[in-house]
Amino acid sequence: MNKKILLAEDDEDNRDLVSFVLQRSRLGAELIIAENGQEAVDKAIEHLPRLILMDMQMPVMDGWTAIPILKGDTRTKHIPIIAFTAQAKPEDKVRTLEIGCAEHYSKPMDPEELITLIRKYLAD
Amino acid sequence: MKESRFHEARTEIEKAKKLDPANVYVIAFLDRINYFEAQKKKEAGPAVVPPPVVGQPGSVAPPVAVPPRTAAPPAVAPPRAPSPPAVKPTPVVAPPSPPQKPGAQAVPASPLPAAGPAQSPSPIAVPHSPKPREVSAEPAPSPAEQKAMEATLEEMKRQIQMLSHSLEQEKKAREEMTNQQLDSNVRQLRHSLEKAWLNGAPSETEGEELHKLAMSLTIPENVEQSLRREVKLKMYSNAVKEVIAKRQLLRSSSSTFEWLRKVYQVTMEEYLEYETKFLLDLVADQYKGTVLYVSPNVKSKDDLVPRLKAAGYAVVLSGNPEEALEKIEKVNPNIILCHTEFSPGSLSGIKFLHLLRATVKFNFIPFILLCQESEVSQLQSSELRQHEGYLKKPVDIDELMITMNEKLAHFRDYVSSLS
Repeated sequence: MNKKILLAEDDEDNRDLVSFVLQRSRLGAELIIAENGQEAVDKAIEHLPRLILMDMQMPVMDGWTAIPILKGDTRTKHIPIIAFTAQAKPEDKVRTLEIGCAEHYSKPMDPEELITLIRKYLAD
Repeated sequence: MKESRFHEARTEIEKAKKLDPANVYVIAFLDRINYFEAQKKKEAGPAVVPPPVVGQPGSVAPPVAVPPRTAAPPAVAPPRAPSPPAVKPTPVVAPPSPPQKPGAQAVPASPLPAAGPAQSPSPIAVPHSPKPREVSAEPAPSPAEQKAMEATLEEMKRQIQMLSHSLEQEKKAREEMTNQQLDSNVRQLRHSLEKAWLNGAPSETEGEELHKLAMSLTIPENVEQSLRREVKLKMYSNAVKEVIAKRQLLRSSSSTFEWLRKVYQVTMEEYLEYETKFLLDLVADQYKGTVLYVSPNVKSKDDLVPRLKAAGYAVVLSGNPEEALEKIEKVNPNIILCHTEFSPGSLSGIKFLHLLRATVKFNFIPFILLCQESEVSQLQSSELRQHEGYLKKPVDIDELMITMNEKLAHFRDYVSSLS
């Protein structure tokens, strides 16, 4: 089983931070980066990652649009998606779960918490 | 024989033995001295002892029964005690020399022939008494024999001094080589350790591999441990700096630092010991101002940006001076870093500077040009003002920080002078 994680995030600092945390997690995960929703869809189909971390607010195509596409595609619908967003209202959480996300993770991040969450989905 | 001669010879050989106990030359000389001492005892005491074991390396010729000495040597030699079966004299051929050690000087062969059956593994013809003493009883040596023995001892002493000197030189040369080799090995281990500790404590297997590497490089265990600790703390400190630069994205800086402490296996004792340094890292994160960085390579990863952010600056990027002019009003930077060359059609860094000088609002903004070596003379001759400067590429980050602080200080002084 591969340990690829697709991170769809338009903010460079956030991307760097997730990469920093993952490198130090010793999970042995390979991080694939997408800077918007469209890139995320393309890269998910190309790499078939084990897990997708999806920012909801992105240029070109946001997470709200990209997730239903991924969940509607037979090649990617099985891939768990964690909504990775600064929107922390309860209704946002409900909405992300409704469109097919497995989890809702609110920014700002906590490294240990994020690793625990990711580990759960990378476990065989 | 004079007591002092034996004493001097023994002192010298003991010195040489301390330097290199296994040295065949030393062993040979020691054998020979023991032999002379035994001879001396033979001359002095009447004790009867079993016959010596001839030819055994390291054996000391035991004292033998000799007639009591008279004040003056007898004119005619007294009858000798019955001799043991004569040992056939062996033609003396010096054994082949061992490979010469680096730095060691060749010990000159004695002008005198060596004793019959080899008594030691000496590769040189060791001076010896004029006559082999393989008899159980012997008359006191004649004055001529005594003189010959003294001359032999003198020659031995000279050779031993030379040997001691050579050994000391060799020891120094070896120590120097060892130190140089150790430095190089430590560098190699440090490089491997830094690679392994980059993202936290290495796995047990990696740790074992690193230990094996240290052993193969003959690095002492205490040096290895201290190096490992040093690298670990450096990597932890670097990680702390990176986190500090992004702390606004973290839920809690303190819990993140605690997580990092675990990732790098930094003990609480170590943390407390280095707390001042870590706190300085934290202080370095305080907001120092906004840098407008004008670079034709904004798309490619420039390591200047994270370093500036880590040092507490907010960084705004522009791909060329025209773009920078659009942003400058909105950003209101505290300092501008600008490359000198941009794609054709764009303003150069120097023209951008001149343009700002002509603008009242940005006339005194600190400005640092990042130039090529070939442009230095041009910039030296151009009249840069106190809050303006230049640095050669590739830019040394520490030099950049110093220059930035200097230019910002000039700007502060200028603003203060206005009030």
